[in-house]
Amino acid sequence: MTHIFAVGGGKGGTGKSFISANLGVMLAKQGKKVVVVDLDLGAPNLHTMMGIDNLKTGLNNFLNNSVKDLSLTAVPTKIPNLYIISSIRCSLEVGNLFYAQKQKIIRAISQLPTDYVVLDLGAGTNYNTLDFFLASHQGLSVFTPEPTSIQNSVQFIKAVYLRKLKHILKQHAFATAVKEVGDESDDGVVRSPLDIVDSVMRSDPARAKLLQKELRKLRFKLILNQYRKHMDETLGNKIEKVCNRHFYSQFQFLGNIAYNERVCESIIARKIFVAKYPYTRTSTDLKNLANKMTGRNVQAPIIKETNAKV
Amino acid sequence: MRKFEELNHYEIFEISINASAFEIRQAYKEALSIYGDDSPISYSFFPQEESKEILNRIEEAFSTLIDQEKRELYNKMLVREKKIDPSSLTKKREKVPTPLFSSKTPGGAAISKTIMKRIKDKNLKKAEEVILSKDMISGDDLKQLRKTVGIKIEDLFEVTRISVSILKAIENDDFGTLPPAVYLKNFLKTYAELFEVDPKKIVDGYIKNLNHIKGTS
Repeated sequence: MTHIFAVGGGKGGTGKSFISANLGVMLAKQGKKVVVVDLDLGAPNLHTMMGIDNLKTGLNNFLNNSVKDLSLTAVPTKIPNLYIISSIRCSLEVGNLFYAQKQKIIRAISQLPTDYVVLDLGAGTNYNTLDFFLASHQGLSVFTPEPTSIQNSVQFIKAVYLRKLKHILKQHAFATAVKEVGDESDDGVVRSPLDIVDSVMRSDPARAKLLQKELRKLRFKLILNQYRKHMDETLGNKIEKVCNRHFYSQFQFLGNIAYNERVCESIIARKIFVAKYPYTRTSTDLKNLANKMTGRNVQAPIIKETNAKV
Repeated sequence: MRKFEELNHYEIFEISINASAFEIRQAYKEALSIYGDDSPISYSFFPQEESKEILNRIEEAFSTLIDQEKRELYNKMLVREKKIDPSSLTKKREKVPTPLFSSKTPGGAAISKTIMKRIKDKNLKKAEEVILSKDMISGDDLKQLRKTVGIKIEDLFEVTRISVSILKAIENDDFGTLPPAVYLKNFLKTYAELFEVDPKKIVDGYIKNLNHIKGTS
């Protein structure tokens, strides 16, 4: 079965597509078959980041049923083992996906005949984005060191958490609990997902245990992009700590990705960054990231090898 | 995960019950860099009232743990409420090398800000008048000034970055370990400026006193 990574995070411009594209390359370089899927529906540009134009097929063929099998819409890239499913040819209204179509995409993605799938998600916290994120095995939340980005990232995490919480409550017929909280809070708006958990805890300790167990299965990975020198290098670890302290899910900080001026240059040139500048700090960081996500970092020689290239 | 209100002082800082003062300080610094006023993390996570509440809890925990007497009372209370195992109090701390400088715990800025605020909030008029009325100023007078505010010598180090050993030498008139006069004058100036007393008078008075001790001994 394929392993799905989702790259999300509340704010736009934090480098979700950049990381998706380059992560895809790094995973493919591990000798695995990888598909990157542009699920930033309505604002797709992953293909541009990867220097692919003139796309003949994509997600649109799958959505309008002209192709039954999603894997047939994948287009090979210049990197061996790496494929892309773009949504550039989808209708301009694809951003407002129907529920059935969303389910169809999620089902098809989990059946793709590859080792890894990388989902490039859009900014914001609409249901499409949240559900794609939740459909993954590992959800990556990308943020930059600015407070605006951290704020939106936290907002995104809370939104995902709340969505998951609602799923669990629905599945286990907790619906009344949500309603109770809704009645308690101002104007029936749930202020924070933490309130719901608290409320269930108070009213029903037995079910609260189940809730905690289910929430614990949700795993977030955090990535700090555009890390510049002389900044607090432990910022990511601190966010990880606070998240683990205040949510029931599991959070892991995967590391900083160094800022590099050439990133902009490579995007303008429509070339993949790690292919164009493999011997930069940024590329090494991305490589380490890929290794960490696939559990390869446990092998000592690989760490040595990456250190040698710094 | 437990809610922040339910954590005891040690759990807030994630330190052991017999943690050293140094470890407490480091943990406090780290906590401030996460939950402090200027931290983008606290700002993004919590509404204003909640982050203020958390910060108050942290301040309370630190002021209790760093004060030996208060800490003992607090430990006794924890034992009484059966929140900790009394045997863990007597357990010997494992000796680990103490890092001289820890680059991993920024937050010094936040710490010195709270100390400065404490000095600002204190009315020092009386203590200042006492010290300025003297012709010769001893280290003990300076110490009194510090004691009036109620801060520790390590706190002074956080703000001034003058090393603790030099600060101690200044307060004890220990002229054997005092730095050369040029440096000493500057340190005294920093000390005086921190407490907002006339630096010139302090420097002159201190040097005069020092020469006096040297002459008599």
